[in-house]
Amino acid sequence: MPLAFDWSFFSEYWHPLLWGFIRTLEVSAIAIAMAFVIGALGGAARAYRIPVVSQVAAVYVEIIRCTPILLQIFFLFYGLPELGIVLTPFTVAWLSVGIWGGAYNIENFRAGFLAVPNGLREAAFALGFSRLAVFFNVGLPLGARISLPSSINTYIAVVKNTALVYAISYNELTTVALNINAVTLRNEPFLVLGVVYLTLVWSLSYVLRLVERRLMVPESA
Amino acid sequence: MLALLPSWVDPTAHYIIHEGLTNTLKMAAAAITASVVIGIPFGTLLTVNFWPTRALIRAYVEIWRGLPLIVTILMVYFVGPDYIPGFEPRAIYAAAIGLSLWGSAQVAEATRGAVQSIPRQQHEAAAALGFGWVGRHTYVILPQALRRLLPPLVTLLVGIIQNTTLAAVIGGAELAGTGQRQIERLGAYPPIGLGQIKALEIYGAIMIAFFCISFPLTRLAAYLERRLV
Repeated sequence: MPLAFDWSFFSEYWHPLLWGFIRTLEVSAIAIAMAFVIGALGGAARAYRIPVVSQVAAVYVEIIRCTPILLQIFFLFYGLPELGIVLTPFTVAWLSVGIWGGAYNIENFRAGFLAVPNGLREAAFALGFSRLAVFFNVGLPLGARISLPSSINTYIAVVKNTALVYAISYNELTTVALNINAVTLRNEPFLVLGVVYLTLVWSLSYVLRLVERRLMVPESA
Repeated sequence: MLALLPSWVDPTAHYIIHEGLTNTLKMAAAAITASVVIGIPFGTLLTVNFWPTRALIRAYVEIWRGLPLIVTILMVYFVGPDYIPGFEPRAIYAAAIGLSLWGSAQVAEATRGAVQSIPRQQHEAAAALGFGWVGRHTYVILPQALRRLLPPLVTLLVGIIQNTTLAAVIGGAELAGTGQRQIERLGAYPPIGLGQIKALEIYGAIMIAFFCISFPLTRLAAYLERRLV
């Protein structure tokens, strides 16, 4: 039977829900930072064919992209303790989602670095810049900006994937909402989940698109 | 070769393959079919300049693409029965419905892009030959758009196959769920289990199985991308 929404629910449960939301943001922020670093370094290794690192990055990308992220989470949380590596739910939360985002971001950055016109890099070399200096002054600023549209999609997917740590009971928004549902048998937690995630994802993509337009490389338009 | 493996492997693998793999493939087949059947008409209608349908379909697409898939599946499973009389889905059906909502939103968005990428002259030429809107799209526009749609559809299929694992969260017996059950069974003391945790081996093996399914499909998508576009 349809249940009428009871707004007094919120006055009772806003506090745990708010904390769940904060933990979702915390895990997302760490994972996005991780995805950025892995993506930039791995993407550079792939694009500039740095021996060994490039091959390792390629294998890493394929393994992560061709296996379900939920199993990666289970593997880290339930599988690794067999090797004596016991991780807390919080560590598994940011680590799994960060590793996942990093793999997708390597491909985004690789494409971005390869799209930087070779003439610009050659000009920097001609001016006497070292390889590292060329990367930090030419490759990274331009490549990261070119890859921004696809990286943004990865970051948004990272935020959405943090909901999966419900499977290992890390107390982020989804877990908190489902626990409240289990205790109260009410549907309001799902309404909260839907509204919060949609608001978060839509506003994040709106803001990031603004950033993207602001940072767009003029000639690439 | 099987003789070299410890004796617990055979019954475990048998259950995971017969129950788990079958359910995973059934869910994936149902979800990709529903996604295409719902998504292509929705995507085509998104290109029609009539705001009420556009607004409705746009809302459908943005909601199911914006929500984390796991949240959609939890909603179908826990909230659906409260509002739809007689709707008491088993976990794998609820997950397949959630996957279809997400997949159809993806297909609709991809179809919109593919239909809009067909040059205007194709519409005009078909209209000049006397085709109405339906005939124009069925015989001229969509067949061309489908070629461009094929690579993203293969990519979506990979996504759907991998995300069938989310059914495990609500207790569905697909690959991840059956693996979970076997790990719990083997963790029990003899004679039921081994009294040992075999999570590393079983989850590792299931990940390898997913890799063997997904990797060729991602190559196929890349190949189609090069050939067709």
